[in-house]
Amino acid sequence: MTHLTMDALVGLREPGTEPGQAAAREHLNQCAHCQAELQRLHQRVARLKALPTLRPSRDRWPETKARFSADRRRRRTRAVGLSGLGLAASVALFFAVGDLPRTPDDPTTDQLSQVMERSSLLEGAISDYNPGGRVLDGRTARIAGELEDRIARVDRQLEATELLRQQPDDRDLLKLWRERVGLLDALVDVHVTRASNAGL
Amino acid sequence: MTGTLLMDSSLLANAETVVARARAGDTRALGELYRAFEVPVYNLARRICRTTEDAEDVLQETFFEVCRSIGRYREEGSLWGWIRTIAASKALMRLRRNKYRETDELHDEAVGHKREDTHLRMDLEAALERLSETSRAVVWLHDVEGYTHEEIANMMGKTPSFSKSQLSRAHARLRTWLGEENIP
Repeated sequence: MTHLTMDALVGLREPGTEPGQAAAREHLNQCAHCQAELQRLHQRVARLKALPTLRPSRDRWPETKARFSADRRRRRTRAVGLSGLGLAASVALFFAVGDLPRTPDDPTTDQLSQVMERSSLLEGAISDYNPGGRVLDGRTARIAGELEDRIARVDRQLEATELLRQQPDDRDLLKLWRERVGLLDALVDVHVTRASNAGL
Repeated sequence: MTGTLLMDSSLLANAETVVARARAGDTRALGELYRAFEVPVYNLARRICRTTEDAEDVLQETFFEVCRSIGRYREEGSLWGWIRTIAASKALMRLRRNKYRETDELHDEAVGHKREDTHLRMDLEAALERLSETSRAVVWLHDVEGYTHEEIANMMGKTPSFSKSQLSRAHARLRTWLGEENIP
């Protein structure tokens, strides 16, 4: 006598009837061996369900919360800041290259353009790294969060400087943009160093 | 999914209020969600993933996603069902990312037919651990968590037939490893 295969036995545990199951059930009704196999399958599943619950060895909530808070700040900064910062950058460039009493080869203007370009490159690097889609340890998440907070503060200062003053001094702008680049550099370091240390 | 609804009330008595607060951005409410579902999420992740580190990462990934997406949770299904699906998806993503070696198949190649003759007996924990990543995930999701083959296939990006064959293959192996084939 040919007994039921494991495929057939597993299929018999499924709700509903599939083609071939009627024949399998008919065989089952007449075969003590297959009845015992099906019973063992039921028992195995019951034992799987009864395995002890495994618990995490440490609390991951502080890290998860820090990562979520950093992500929320980043999204807020992006939502509010990108439009504001885009405007701020346009204003800065307008004053940098606009019809103002500056010499064409004003070193401050050149430096401002360079530092803004560097800022854009670093933002791109961070975006490519996609920190929001990665697992961060608590320390990294905390440091990254602090740096993002400071970047957001600089962004607000930049907006205020550029929008409230009629003729912002390039040196003030340069100072703020340099601070922004320094913070972005540090943020890249935090993520990239962490990734290389962790072998990611 | 009556079982999952029962899980909601047993793990988090005031689930509706906590979810409403979490949706409003209350971090303490998100913390309450974490505390309520931390253990079942970790258990699911640990049963699917090979290492505790991976399971802990899945735990973090799952709740990070819960925090980000709680506004999109529709209360038509159970909260645990929603969180569990996120956890299962994250655990399966982790398997795909790690591309673990299929340990039982490697073992088959190394030992050949000897293992079939030795009838070595293992306990269920050890036998489950010995299954390939994919087989173990299918066994756990189907037999313990109650997902259908269609749902598992969706999560794995495979067909229901794939899930069915993984399940029967896994049970055939478990049966051998547990020494059940000689039981009359």
